[in-house]
Amino acid sequence: MTRFRQRRAVWLVPCALAGALLTTLPQRAQGADDSREWLERMNKALTTRNYDGTFFHLSGGRVETMRIVHRVRAGRVTERLQSLDGSGREFVRANGELTCYLPDQHTVLVEQRQERGSFLGSLPQFDASVSDFYRIETLPATHILGRPVRVIAVNPKDQFRFGYRLWLDEKTAMPLKTQLCDSRGQVIEQIFFARLDMPENIPDSDLTPTVRTEGMRWVRQGPSPDSASAALGAYRASQLPPGFRLTIQGAQTLGGASAPASHLVYSDGLATVSVFVEEPSASPAGAAAAPDAQPEPPLQGLARVGSGYAFSTVVQGHQVTAVGEVPAQTVEFIAHSVKIYSGGELPRH
Amino acid sequence: MSEQIREQVSAFLDGELPSSETELLLKRLTRDGELRESFGRYAMIGEAMRGAGSHILARGFTSRVNLAIDGEPAQVPGQAHPARASRWWRPLAGVTVAAGVATVAIVALQQRAISPGARVAPALTAQNVRAQNVRAQNVTAQNARIPQSVVAAQNASVQGGGGAREALSYTVPVRSADAPAALSPARFTNYVFAHSKYSLGLGQRGVLADLLIEDDETQPAPIQGLAQPSLTPQPPLTPEARVAP
Repeated sequence: MTRFRQRRAVWLVPCALAGALLTTLPQRAQGADDSREWLERMNKALTTRNYDGTFFHLSGGRVETMRIVHRVRAGRVTERLQSLDGSGREFVRANGELTCYLPDQHTVLVEQRQERGSFLGSLPQFDASVSDFYRIETLPATHILGRPVRVIAVNPKDQFRFGYRLWLDEKTAMPLKTQLCDSRGQVIEQIFFARLDMPENIPDSDLTPTVRTEGMRWVRQGPSPDSASAALGAYRASQLPPGFRLTIQGAQTLGGASAPASHLVYSDGLATVSVFVEEPSASPAGAAAAPDAQPEPPLQGLARVGSGYAFSTVVQGHQVTAVGEVPAQTVEFIAHSVKIYSGGELPRH
Repeated sequence: MSEQIREQVSAFLDGELPSSETELLLKRLTRDGELRESFGRYAMIGEAMRGAGSHILARGFTSRVNLAIDGEPAQVPGQAHPARASRWWRPLAGVTVAAGVATVAIVALQQRAISPGARVAPALTAQNVRAQNVRAQNVTAQNARIPQSVVAAQNASVQGGGGAREALSYTVPVRSADAPAALSPARFTNYVFAHSKYSLGLGQRGVLADLLIEDDETQPAPIQGLAQPSLTPQPPLTPEARVAP
């Protein structure tokens, strides 16, 4: 009898496990769908709602306080981002133009911007291919600013990309806190709101920069010069980290260079890596060599840039540089795999 | 950080500070740079202590944070060399939208300089900055007579000696380099700027934030050959005419 009981007990374990799996799997799938819906709601809120908030931006142990005002009126977006910590810098996006007021530099920069997004950014839609490389999960709910929030993590499935964690207001889907994390979950940078209002109306005065522009130099910029396309060599990454594919290719002359560089953009749907290839005759954009000075040696190596990395190497005499908000190994991988295809067939990715 | 403010910060990071008090804390932080620094360290240590696996703010971590912050603030778990990491961080922090603005201006100017009919303008380097700054003074004087004038970058053309066309550009003065001994991030600037237009998603927000950040003493060597407003130390950004060789 005792033996029978033991056997039954042995059988019960896998049964219970199977049962548990059967019940949790659909829930997990449903949870992911639910999270995607929430991310879409967040994108919509960021781009279509009125809001006025103050947030902290933390990176590398440093904190900055900023105010953002975002107004959508009759389909037109006006947005203002202002530093509250002393530099006095402000950005205003209105009427298809982005204006950067840099009082400490006595300069105002104006550029045409047709983007419909938000200064706070948004996440691209999660299609099936993105899901192959990021796992979306809902984490236990919590409170921020006294409001109930839903917490969603977009976790990279490998070490070739970064992830996000988002604390979304249950009521408005606005991200009250966001973090950029590496694949081990270490936080690279984060923002969180100390105050966020979503008023029906936002007066013009809240979108008017407080910077006094008397005596400041204005620099107005026309459309992006990216269309300058030259008949450049055929360059491609022969191999890519999983999920990355070529999304844009073109040519542009970079500051400090005398000839256009080939510019390839690779993306996995969320993360983006640019690859620049310069022909041997061109002075590399990073070198910025003067005619009367010794030419600088070609760029070789890795550098931390913003929340990502840049890696440069030389391939058959060509300067190859990969840059992106991705881990170091991703830019290294891509830069090292760039090949020059002369007359041969290009790889499809 | 006083005990009261420390408690406020902890409660805020825990999402438990009432909004009225949050306003007060915000005001304090806006005014007080030192407090902001402590706050940043505090938040960072908090994140590190919560660890890689735990995503949610763990209640009661405050006491551990206090311990850590009172003990060795520089020794942030999971960050071996905070000071150095920060130095790496700063130079090219501005990556997307706003950086794009500065860059596009420069890219266009460079393109203009190499367009047919114009000779190739020399690339801006540490070596020729001094000479150019001298020339820049003249241009600044000209600009001073027309304050608030809008400079259409692509059309701007200052007549220089011998009728040579000059391209308007910007100089970031060179400071003594205190950047890490490894490859200078400054040399990647042009690439980062060009990339910025295509970067997706929430990465933009950090970039904008970085451009809005006040320059400070901890800044590393500035970028050569490009305007990078968020990083430019004194003296301020200077317009100048560059004469083609």
